[in-house]
Amino acid sequence: MTKLAVLVAMLAVTGGCGRDGAEAGSRPLTVFAASSLTEVFPELEPRARYQFAGSDDLALQLREGAGADVLAAASLNYSAELHDEGVVGQPVVFATNRLVLAVPEDNPGGIRSVDDLSAPDVRLVIGAEGVPVGDYTRQVLDNLDATAVLESVVSEEEDVKAIVSKIALGEADAGFVYTTDVRSAEEDILSIELPAEAQPTVEYTIAVVSESERKTEAQDFIDLVLSDEGVEALEAAGFGTP
Amino acid sequence: MRWFQLLLIIACAVVVAFLLLPLVALFLRVSPGDLIAALGSGVALDALIVTLKTSAIAHLLILGFGTPAAYLLATKRWRGHSATVALIELPLVLPPVVAGIALLSVFGRLGLLGETMDVLGISISFTQAAVVLAVVFVASPFFVRQAIVAFEGVDTGLLEAARTLRASPWRVFSRVALPLAARGLATGSALAFVRGLGEFGATIIFAGSFRGVTQTLPLAIYGELDQDFEAAIAISVLLVLISAALLTAIRWVPSWNPFTLTSR
Repeated sequence: MTKLAVLVAMLAVTGGCGRDGAEAGSRPLTVFAASSLTEVFPELEPRARYQFAGSDDLALQLREGAGADVLAAASLNYSAELHDEGVVGQPVVFATNRLVLAVPEDNPGGIRSVDDLSAPDVRLVIGAEGVPVGDYTRQVLDNLDATAVLESVVSEEEDVKAIVSKIALGEADAGFVYTTDVRSAEEDILSIELPAEAQPTVEYTIAVVSESERKTEAQDFIDLVLSDEGVEALEAAGFGTP
Repeated sequence: MRWFQLLLIIACAVVVAFLLLPLVALFLRVSPGDLIAALGSGVALDALIVTLKTSAIAHLLILGFGTPAAYLLATKRWRGHSATVALIELPLVLPPVVAGIALLSVFGRLGLLGETMDVLGISISFTQAAVVLAVVFVASPFFVRQAIVAFEGVDTGLLEAARTLRASPWRVFSRVALPLAARGLATGSALAFVRGLGEFGATIIFAGSFRGVTQTLPLAIYGELDQDFEAAIAISVLLVLISAALLTAIRWVPSWNPFTLTSR
């Protein structure tokens, strides 16, 4: 534990150095958000500073003392865990998403449904275990009783954008991604809907970071996301809202 | 001039502390027991095997093509010679992510050679061949650059003498130039190998990440970061230890070559 304390102290010292340079009031609100929100948040609130990454990476950075004010994660689990550890406040569900099967525009593997994924030579790319999209994918395959298609997996990626880019580049024949990701790359990617009964509950949660020095503004940001304006922006990007 | 000496010592201390502190912190964070437990896990072992296998193949390619190429670049001059050397060094300063995209643009399905390879039934992405290519691309400049310097450091008088004694170009190369440049070649070889072990950006883009196939040690570290933080640190420590051992070993290679001066 002492070792950890030393590390945290080091982070605090370096963080302090950075803060001295800028006036306290001029630092923009810092939002850590799941990669899939890249198209939504900056349009909703252009003044904030964003870091988009896999929710698991964001959780790790927050645990290590990264200075953020708001966390918007693509999973209920991560925020719940962080809340239990006291890293973030009470998380609120603000959006939902669906998984789809994505294929390149010219569909070189001739994929029409999940069943086609078991064909030999199909190159399937999915999220790694522990990454929300990877865990949801395994859940869907479980629900469809189709875990055999995991045999076709050639790569396990650490965030959903990496899956999307490998499909858009035509390197992979198929991959499981969120429906919102296909929208942002729709020239290069086609999506195949999955049966509704197989869909996992993909809930996005937002919470104030406990260490934040700007809790009021952080709460204002969350209120904006939950407002009609926020709902409209999320729905325009393909998200569902609770 | 006492203050100047002091300045040098302070600057050196800052450099050493800044470079070593993060590594020391890494070691403090994992107990030897955790380290062994994490390394016993399948993920670390699989990644170690993939890394050593791909690095070994890549290294043979680097030495096999890089040594003669460096010899030519060191002994002959032609128009565009220095441009060639500069271009060979380019991957040194290229962000690895760019290297990955560049490799895809050549060998990917939609790349320059993609269609040709498709016809031949060859598919490189997501295979160990892709890992090898990524490692060769980012690591070979480390060797070639050092090898050129090593060959250039060989006394041309000795090469001339061998030629006047009617040694064939092959004999001049293999019996005179190669032994005299050996130490420099070994240093470059070790640098390239260590750089190859740590290759991440080009690999994850070009080869993807799959346990036992394309997941090398750095990719396994990234993958374990969210799963098992302790394991990620343990694999990091393993990678640091291997690299440090190789870099130290090369310092200990005896300089059995009486003709070249080396800085030790």
